[in-house]
Amino acid sequence: MTDAGNLIWLPLYGLFYIAVMLFWTRVAARENHNHETYFSAGHTLSPWIAAITIAGASLSGWFLLGGTAEISARGFSQPAILQAGIILALPGVLFFKRMWFVGQRLRLSSQPELFRSYFDSDFLVVVSTAVAVLFAVGFAGLQLRALSEIIAALSGGMISQLVVSVFLGAVLFAYVGIGGMRAIGYFGVIQTVLALTGVVGLAGVALVGSGGFAALNEGLQTLAQSPDGTGLFLVAGVIEFSAGLGRDAVVGHSETALTSFGIALAFMGFQASPLAAKIILSTRNANGFAAGQTWVMAGVVGGIIAFGIAIIGAAGLINPQLSLGGMLAQLQAESPWFMAWLFLGVIAGVQLLAGLALLTAGESLVRHVYKPYFHSGLSRLATVNLTRIVIALLTLGSVLMQSLTPVTLSALGALALPLSFQLWTPLLGITWLRWITKSAAATGVGFGIAGVLLTEPLGYQILSFLGLELPWGRWPWTIHSAAWGMAANLVAVLIISAITNRNAFGEEAQEARRFLQSTLRVRSRARALSSTAWSVVLVWGFLAIGPGLVFGNFAFGAINEAGGAWLVGMPSIWAWTLLFWALGVGLVWFLSYKMEMASPYVLEIPAYEPPRKLNRDRSSAERERSRTLVVTGAIAFVLIVLVTFSFGG
Amino acid sequence: MSAKPNTERDLLVFSIWAVLGFGGLAFLLEGFTRDSYLISLLGIALIVAAFVAHIIVNGLFHQGFGPGETALGIGSFGVLIFTFIAGVLSGGMSMVDYYAGLTLFAVLTVGFIAYLSTRHGLRGAFSRFHVKTAVSEDSGR
Repeated sequence: MTDAGNLIWLPLYGLFYIAVMLFWTRVAARENHNHETYFSAGHTLSPWIAAITIAGASLSGWFLLGGTAEISARGFSQPAILQAGIILALPGVLFFKRMWFVGQRLRLSSQPELFRSYFDSDFLVVVSTAVAVLFAVGFAGLQLRALSEIIAALSGGMISQLVVSVFLGAVLFAYVGIGGMRAIGYFGVIQTVLALTGVVGLAGVALVGSGGFAALNEGLQTLAQSPDGTGLFLVAGVIEFSAGLGRDAVVGHSETALTSFGIALAFMGFQASPLAAKIILSTRNANGFAAGQTWVMAGVVGGIIAFGIAIIGAAGLINPQLSLGGMLAQLQAESPWFMAWLFLGVIAGVQLLAGLALLTAGESLVRHVYKPYFHSGLSRLATVNLTRIVIALLTLGSVLMQSLTPVTLSALGALALPLSFQLWTPLLGITWLRWITKSAAATGVGFGIAGVLLTEPLGYQILSFLGLELPWGRWPWTIHSAAWGMAANLVAVLIISAITNRNAFGEEAQEARRFLQSTLRVRSRARALSSTAWSVVLVWGFLAIGPGLVFGNFAFGAINEAGGAWLVGMPSIWAWTLLFWALGVGLVWFLSYKMEMASPYVLEIPAYEPPRKLNRDRSSAERERSRTLVVTGAIAFVLIVLVTFSFGG
Repeated sequence: MSAKPNTERDLLVFSIWAVLGFGGLAFLLEGFTRDSYLISLLGIALIVAAFVAHIIVNGLFHQGFGPGETALGIGSFGVLIFTFIAGVLSGGMSMVDYYAGLTLFAVLTVGFIAYLSTRHGLRGAFSRFHVKTAVSEDSGR
């Protein structure tokens, strides 16, 4: 087939994708009655739709685009990547059921609302909104940029990266802007199925290209015996006391067991993000969380990551022509219909995450920041329309940044997961740990953000720009910024909770606490198992994602320049990861069902009716706030310009 | 308003065809390109699996094929036959392609008749194509 003939398949499959997208957007818009249930699908998404959409959004394109690239470049030295299915399922088990119950009782539909109702904290609302914006513009923007570059390369330079970005952005806006949460849920199912198929298919192609699973492992074995290859199959100790990337050289390589642990914590940030909360709080009932986390997330997605992503990465490690980009180019030349079908899965996965992030960010900015502080009289229709405009602006901003400021985009994208992980402490306060006070939750998150910023490039580059050189670089002591942030977060939460009033909560928080305690009381059988559960979780965490990873270096044999063998025919660390993935599925099942942390629970939940309050006219205060915002914005702009002229360059 | 069962059924049907249908098509085309009957057969098997999964979903939701689905199915079948005949007449088809195409049409036709017979019975299946006129309905028989 000619090159021109090959080029037709991706646009052809793309047209099908757009036709299906438009169909489901139309269905969603009709069921929404345009704006009535735009934000949360009327809390009617089926549990199975929610489970699949969360799995797809969690998988996104990162594991295929970023995860495979990491393995192709650094080998199996970061096993946490392959353990992602379990890592993502655990926070779901911990939070989703209780979060849904609180949301349903107080009739809440998003994370900022949850924070406002429970903690009455404007700071947490703003942080949650900022995290959503980071996911929408930075995290998803990075993946969309990677996709655009691949498509531009596949077109042989006929289409520029900018044009592809604009096109993908337009498709995104079309279904998110028109169909809202319902369109994301409905179309998300198809996108997830396509994304999972894409990973499985590409893993199959990688295996065929490598000559089969045995040949792939023989290639890895040969690589392990080369002088530079041994380190690719080893976790470099538990910790390395280096000053961080960009500041200090480390002995061997910088991927220690604690790096993996930190990466695992960052992954856990996704389930604490406002994006995951958006899907949970749009769900009809709590009956699907256990199955969703156990079988869909830990089982299917976990298995696909532990096998599929590993195979694609390993193939690229042995032969760079079998890396994702190389493989797609080869498929484009030989089997363009396969390439189009599988690559559509990658696009679908990224678009699912980007769409969800855009809706959450748009809603947060308009409904939870602009409306309550600046324009409380905004009608529902006007709120929806304004959200659509904000979504369009965010999409445009992301598209422009993808082309014009990729470095800034990368720095922003790197913050999304670790910052989101800092929201664990307020969520723990709402769902489990009643002793976390309002001030402790807000201060803890503040300290957590500082911890993340000071150990990520964006933070220390800003300080460097202002003339303050930090003595450390990215991820000091080979510990990820998510872990540094959480260390600061936890210290602040513990101290401040100890010294502040634990009963100083508003009426809605008190009601949420009463409701959770009365309805989700753990039965005696589960209570009896709690010490077993703690022990099993700690042991699994220690061995699968913690310091115990170093045992995986040699548990199933070791190979180095002097020789040796892998007992199961594959790298010991990979076999270790697969073993703990299988055990992890059992762990998630045990926690979900036996410990009743996510088990189905049928209950008609009546809405809480707060005592009636007089509605005061807030228009003058809101006008004053708007004026203050404009003046502050102008002063900030002038200051930034002055600082740039004074210190920049 | 809760999501209607129709919506959930349609979602499942779309997902099935996105994976098995498109996958089947890709393998079928691969088989034609590589002149491999086995690869084509794999594609046909995937398409049949898509139909079977579609019928199972229909059964779960107590529904049959919708009018749009029937029209799309018959239309696609017609286009495939037309393409196949055009390919045969143009003389650019290998024997493997020829047998793969025949297998596809044979499987689809037999499957279609089997589906109608099991769902409506042999006589009922025939009646699906029998246009009942107003006169025959009023005849009182």
